[in-house]
Amino acid sequence: MKRLVIISLFIILFISFIVVWNHSYQTGLEEAYIPIERNDPSSIIPSETGVFKRSEHALDYSNMPIDETHSRTLKEYYKNRAYPGAPPSIPHPTDELNLGGNKCLKCHENGGYTEKYEAYAPVTPHPEMTNCRQCHVAQNTETLFVQTRYENVEAPLTGVNNALLGSPPVIPHQIQMRENCLACHAGPSAPKEIRVTHPERINCRQCHVPKNGETTEIGIFKR
Amino acid sequence: MCITPTNRRSFIKKMAATAAMTAAATMFPGIVFAIEQEANLPSGNDLDWKKGPCRFCGVGCGILVGVDKGKAVAVKGDPNSSVNKGLLCVKGYHQTMCIQAKDRLTHALVKKNGSYVRTPINEALDIVANKMKETIEKHGKDSVAMYTSGQSTIPEGYVASKLMKGAIGTNNLDCNARLCMASAVTGFLTTFGADEPMGCYEDIDYADYFITWGNNMAEMHPVLFSRMLEEKNRRGAKIIDFATRTTRSSSASDKSILFEPQTDLAVANAICHEIINKGWVNKSFVEKHCNFSKGLTNIGYGLEDKFKFTDKPEKIDFEAYKKFLEDYTPEKVAKYSGVSVKDIKYLATIYGDPNKKVVSYWCMGMNQHTRGTWINNLVYNIHLLTGKISQPGNGPFSLTGQPSACGTAREVGTFTHKLPKGVVTNEKHRRLAAKIWKVPYGRIPAKPTYHATEMFRAVDRGDIKFIWTQVTNPLVSLPKTSRYRPAMEKDSCFVVVSDVFPTPTSDVADVILPASWHIEKSGLYGNSERRTQHWDKMVEGPGETTPDAWMTIEVAKRMGFGDLFPYSEENHVEEIYNEYRQFHEGAKHGMAPLDVLKKQSGVIWPYVDGKSTQWRFNAKYDPACSNGEDFHFYGKPDGKAVIWQRPFEPAPEAPDDEYPFWLNTGRVIEHWHTGSMTRRIPVLHKAMPSAYVEFHPEDAKMLSIGNGEKIKVTSRRGSCILPASINERGLPTQGQVFVPFFDENMMINDVTLDAFCPISKEPDYKKCAVRVEKA
Repeated sequence: MKRLVIISLFIILFISFIVVWNHSYQTGLEEAYIPIERNDPSSIIPSETGVFKRSEHALDYSNMPIDETHSRTLKEYYKNRAYPGAPPSIPHPTDELNLGGNKCLKCHENGGYTEKYEAYAPVTPHPEMTNCRQCHVAQNTETLFVQTRYENVEAPLTGVNNALLGSPPVIPHQIQMRENCLACHAGPSAPKEIRVTHPERINCRQCHVPKNGETTEIGIFKR
Repeated sequence: MCITPTNRRSFIKKMAATAAMTAAATMFPGIVFAIEQEANLPSGNDLDWKKGPCRFCGVGCGILVGVDKGKAVAVKGDPNSSVNKGLLCVKGYHQTMCIQAKDRLTHALVKKNGSYVRTPINEALDIVANKMKETIEKHGKDSVAMYTSGQSTIPEGYVASKLMKGAIGTNNLDCNARLCMASAVTGFLTTFGADEPMGCYEDIDYADYFITWGNNMAEMHPVLFSRMLEEKNRRGAKIIDFATRTTRSSSASDKSILFEPQTDLAVANAICHEIINKGWVNKSFVEKHCNFSKGLTNIGYGLEDKFKFTDKPEKIDFEAYKKFLEDYTPEKVAKYSGVSVKDIKYLATIYGDPNKKVVSYWCMGMNQHTRGTWINNLVYNIHLLTGKISQPGNGPFSLTGQPSACGTAREVGTFTHKLPKGVVTNEKHRRLAAKIWKVPYGRIPAKPTYHATEMFRAVDRGDIKFIWTQVTNPLVSLPKTSRYRPAMEKDSCFVVVSDVFPTPTSDVADVILPASWHIEKSGLYGNSERRTQHWDKMVEGPGETTPDAWMTIEVAKRMGFGDLFPYSEENHVEEIYNEYRQFHEGAKHGMAPLDVLKKQSGVIWPYVDGKSTQWRFNAKYDPACSNGEDFHFYGKPDGKAVIWQRPFEPAPEAPDDEYPFWLNTGRVIEHWHTGSMTRRIPVLHKAMPSAYVEFHPEDAKMLSIGNGEKIKVTSRRGSCILPASINERGLPTQGQVFVPFFDENMMINDVTLDAFCPISKEPDYKKCAVRVEKA
């Protein structure tokens, strides 16, 4: 009797196991998806993604000797862009078929001196985006298809961006996709005019705030 | 004097600053300090950022254009747009630079005694209207035609349709979207009875697998590809590239599978065979929501003039469909498709696994196909059999090429058979259009006339005596331009071309009308994911440039249809959109009101009760579902989608001894279509100065062709000389060459074949036979 009860108990358990397992398998067949979380994409304040990227190199940056002979100038930096904030073009030959993940990042993720071009490879502020040549293209000819009247706007100047004597300068340029300050402002590839003297401080936007028209204009603040 | 708090604050600030300055200046002579700050900050800081959609592809990225002193000086991605989340591609970032090109068309040009004479715009519009009227009086309504674009704005398409179909009463209106999306439309209509994708870009955030069918997304839909790469890096989603050419997309994919041109039909059937054979069919879904049908076979290629074809659908059952698939076992298909049995089974496993979410993407590879409608049907079959459709992360997604091929060409309906809602052959749809347009019902003809290719054949034959092209450059983009260029040069047809820049099409025009570019006018575009986007005019256009919609309205008025076009010049975009919205009222296609569009970075239709419908046909998300089930394919009268029995049929022209290579054509990331805009952008032209012909290295070796050598590509229709490119941008399969079509100096479309899908009438630019030799 006891044995029968135990056996039937096991049979019941086994059958229910099959039923439950089948049921969950079947529902899995029909609705194999996760619920969707909605988030409001609107931004009032400028993006902070990647602000602390590369901060692990901060001490290295501050200890690095400065190689003045191979530094870029700000003029060279802007010469490579159609307008301040435009994606820079690629000033050296590339292998056409390979995407960033394979090739570009080898030099442009962390930079470093390149004998061939006698220059330091600029560091990308957004290494997570690997379809590099979606935005960055080489320049394969000097001529134009049709002449243009396009005039570039003036790039932000340096040395004039602090509100008070000795106060930290504001950020005078767009930071979308360039939220990672150290990529351009620290290390040997940084243009000399904008190389930061204190890369070890890391939390740049503790003292430097954007004044670049990127935020939503709310007019004059009124109480 | 009343001092406001602001004034007081700034006064105090200035005082403090001056004091500090003075103190500082005494300590450090020669150094400029804070007070000059505001003055010294470069003007770039005061840029006025204006929102709009990108001018180029069908992805429909949100852009912000930086305007300084009335000039567009910078572009960035709109971080609020859920499409691109702040990212753009190289064309997007530099787009506004083209309007400054020195050869910009700023005034109307009228051809007099063989040379173009600058003419006031009002006079030029008089000439166009008179000529159109005169032609109609002499030769009838069907002797005039308009050829517009998937880059026309919604209002531009709408007034063109109203003028041709409602006012004049002819269906002689077609557009260049016939060359890119027609097969997608007929695919949607035959399978679902309702046009445009059921899913949206948010699918990318949930899918486990992305399978791209003949689609080089890294170059053609780069921002979406970047979103896919992000998911790949973030959570291990996989990208599988199924194509006839190794591209940038292939090199970034997890797996690249190559197939012989045209055999995608067979491989899709083989995948279905494997799914059924292995018992991976979602039976409850198929029973509840699907029908099976077959159509005619051996349907021809449309190579002859006045080609006619109507499909005769016939219902079949699952057993018959299963039997049909017996010809498509992976083993049989592997023999001629070049895809291994293992790879076919691999693809089937991905689609068949109920716990993997799969999105299929495709664009021109499947649409520009002499069996374009069929291959669209076949990919839908895969998703229907497995029930992987209309759910987040699961679904077939037909990508669009042009920024408003969906919004304008397909939704407004600038095709010969279309009306803003429905088709001309349907009496109910004609009555609705007549009511909203306030024209007599009998005026809208019930019979479609010329689709794009046939329209230019009619020009060649002399049947069309007046043609007006807007926002497109057909003499570079049509197939077999070697026939249609001389056709347009004939005196029998009066050619009016509206454009922003001179092009090979405007070279043959009798009247050239100067159009406003994108940001020089207001407008609306609709992208691939049913997102309608509005923008306001951002800068003034030069000279007498005028928005295309307004030129159409002006011509309509001059032809005596003023009462049908009561719009105002300042506000016509808004007035037209409000009129147009009436066509789509209801839960199935409701469009958002303009004030919502002005506030947001685009809104997906159906827009019901203030909410976008992201996944159509799924009762969880789509309020139009009314059958009480989880899914409702309400496009079809019985609410069921159709699984089509479509066989493999060969291409009309395959390589032979005389013409031993396949020719495949397409785009490159740097250039947009025929290059009339992007070649005028210095960064883009310098990056990609000319077209090229791409070889497989083995083929190049066999022909002893070196990189950069001039090569003559010849077909039965014409030839073209281009530099060879080996191991550069892409790698065609052996026996295939690839040429981008953007270059008006190297017109590869002189070589291509004007065969088309008999159902969609969309030409196949991807396959014809050529021979190559050193030039």
